Amino acid sequence: MTTLRNFPRWAHKNLFAKPADTVLTLIVVPVLAWALWSFAHWAIAMADWSVVLRSLRVLMVGLFPADRMWLVWIAVGLIAGLAGLATATTMTFGRGSIRVALASILLALVASAWTPTISPKLALVLAVFFSVWAYGTRNEYLQSRLSGIAFAVLAAVLLVLSPAGPSNWGGLLLSVVITLTAALLTIPLGVLLAFGRQSRIGSLRILCTGYIEVMRSVPLILVVYCIWVAFPLVLPQFPLPDVVRGLIGFTLFYSAYAAEFIRSGLQSVARGQTEAAQSLGLSDFDMKRIVILPQALRVAVPGLVGNILDIFNYAPLVFIIGLTDFLRAGQMILANPENSGRTYEIYVFLFLVYFAVGSVITFQARRLEQKLSKGARK
Amino acid sequence: MSLSPSLRWRRWRRSATQLAVVGLALALIVLLGMTVRDGFAARGVNFSFDFLTSSAGFEISEGVVPTSQGLQKFSSGMTNAQALIAGLSNTLKVAVVAILLSTVIGVTLGVCRLSTNWLIRKLAFWITEFLRNTPLLIQLTFWYIAVVLQLPPVRQAPEFLGTIVSQHGIWLPAPVTTGGVGLVIFLLALVLGLTALVPVRAWRAGRGWLAGGAVALLVVAFAAGFRMTLSLPQVNRFRADGGFAVSPEYAALMIAITVNSAAYLGEIVRGAIEALPRGQWEAADAIGLSRRNVLRDVVLPQVFRVVMPSFGNQYISLAKNTSLGIAIGYPDLFNVYGTVSNQTGRSLEGVMLAMAIYLLLSWVISAFVNLINSRMKIPGVRS
Repeated sequence: MTTLRNFPRWAHKNLFAKPADTVLTLIVVPVLAWALWSFAHWAIAMADWSVVLRSLRVLMVGLFPADRMWLVWIAVGLIAGLAGLATATTMTFGRGSIRVALASILLALVASAWTPTISPKLALVLAVFFSVWAYGTRNEYLQSRLSGIAFAVLAAVLLVLSPAGPSNWGGLLLSVVITLTAALLTIPLGVLLAFGRQSRIGSLRILCTGYIEVMRSVPLILVVYCIWVAFPLVLPQFPLPDVVRGLIGFTLFYSAYAAEFIRSGLQSVARGQTEAAQSLGLSDFDMKRIVILPQALRVAVPGLVGNILDIFNYAPLVFIIGLTDFLRAGQMILANPENSGRTYEIYVFLFLVYFAVGSVITFQARRLEQKLSKGARK
Repeated sequence: MSLSPSLRWRRWRRSATQLAVVGLALALIVLLGMTVRDGFAARGVNFSFDFLTSSAGFEISEGVVPTSQGLQKFSSGMTNAQALIAGLSNTLKVAVVAILLSTVIGVTLGVCRLSTNWLIRKLAFWITEFLRNTPLLIQLTFWYIAVVLQLPPVRQAPEFLGTIVSQHGIWLPAPVTTGGVGLVIFLLALVLGLTALVPVRAWRAGRGWLAGGAVALLVVAFAAGFRMTLSLPQVNRFRADGGFAVSPEYAALMIAITVNSAAYLGEIVRGAIEALPRGQWEAADAIGLSRRNVLRDVVLPQVFRVVMPSFGNQYISLAKNTSLGIAIGYPDLFNVYGTVSNQTGRSLEGVMLAMAIYLLLSWVISAFVNLINSRMKIPGVRS
């Protein structure tokens, strides 16, 4: 930013350029300083953060059986690996990253002194993340197989967690599982819907357009609740757990949004591409699969990553079908009279975690957008 | 010219697919309908909307219903249909106010993102990031539990300009008018006056006439015995009486949705301002306009023409987000639907109705936005 010597000039240009700017600065600085100071005072002197530590397990995994926590750690490791590979596609693992990696792993190991049950495993998860990132940076082939690997990881995560019973999934774990499942399953559905909406077959086009428009006009909470209620009515012979019904609702709802992102990608593919593929004698299916879809997805990817953030941000809505996600777990802890005075501590923690995860997703979406637009300019 | 065999084959295949799709869709619907009917038959009920006309039997904390005696507060003796209408009125009450407020705040936030003041710029950026990267539901419960419910109880609430802000609700001074012919004439004057204020270029010439007519009508209304007084809320034991009451749930939902939506609208505005050709700024600077005038007369008018479709999408998602009110017990349409379907067991019929209403709401909003959009277009300019 600026060195101290340049500060007066910088301040004159950026804070006191005009009378209006000066007035605004003079109002905002004291208010901001007061707000920051009172927050810091509260956070350090008055807040009792032990409530967060005491209820960390419920916040993270809900009612997941304690003797099967190792299943969760395997799932977290798998997800960390996937996150590492995804990071490799947007950022190269450079010299600075090694320092960050070593520092964070060391920090986790040092923290073992206070939280001996969590921190060593956390250090291991971090090691997985950074090593996959480092390996993926140099391995173009692995990067190009990201979507397939993502589906494999999802299947593995669901498989690993299933012995504990889906009704026991909760906390941040449930939020992440919902996000991962819905985000991945909406892509194939979205591709089908997007092609359907552009199809030359009138009936298919009307059906797909109708589906997309209806889903985009009704609230998610209504769709999730409706699926949850209607499933036992329509198919009483197949009792599905609440989590699965919720996942179906999320997937059906967000596939309409995914379809719109993919459709905008399809529209950006130049007409000449279709014509060239046809003149090569490719069949309709091959043309879409080999020529059009890869180019369309390239444009749609930033939007689809944004869709992941949307799914994560609306995952708390599963409270309506009685599931305990991250936010709901926090509210349950506050419902315990023992923790009644600790509303702000829990909420600050929830906000921090949500903001951290959301910011990471936003950051990745921006990186991808920059990277892909750079590729297009070439 | 006759078609080549391969083209004919393709055309045949296409119409076959067409038929197959229609047939499959029909078969699916029939299958679904039959399983639902069997399911209903197994429980000894049949698919019907009769529950709408039966008495609701539950109370709703707020919400109005149009009846033959004008707008009335919902009471448990009314029908389920009226309960849903009361819920819809609550949804609209939040949606309309939040759309208006969030537009104002959102545009301000978007302009602040490009302020010449570094502090304002950064502050607006971080506020936007925070609001967009955290779930709306946690923002909503935070506003409700950690802000509105932490206000002082109504007995100790501070009173400022006749406004009481407490955890039991917010009371604002409200105008109380005499009824009769005077009120009708007054409302007419109000409509005329507001019309004169609407910033549509075509009406510029008639604006003076409209304003004059409004003032004249106001005098007539006063002569016809129309009087208006201000009702100030009075604090009682657990609540206040008089004035205009706002429930704590409404306040929290309205604030949460307004603030959240403003962040998204601000981001749209910022994008549109940055997409504006630099020449527009430079030309405005060159003729010596101040930054305020550049924004007001050159930049924002062009921006509003571009952002309207995106604003429309955001308004629709805002209207959909009002359904989160159930998390804090605000009786919006979805919440009332839940109660009705619990009481009557008609969840499937109810969900169809609720979906239809939300669909209609979204269509009305997008039609309205399209109307504004076409009004703001300069004739002959292609975008």
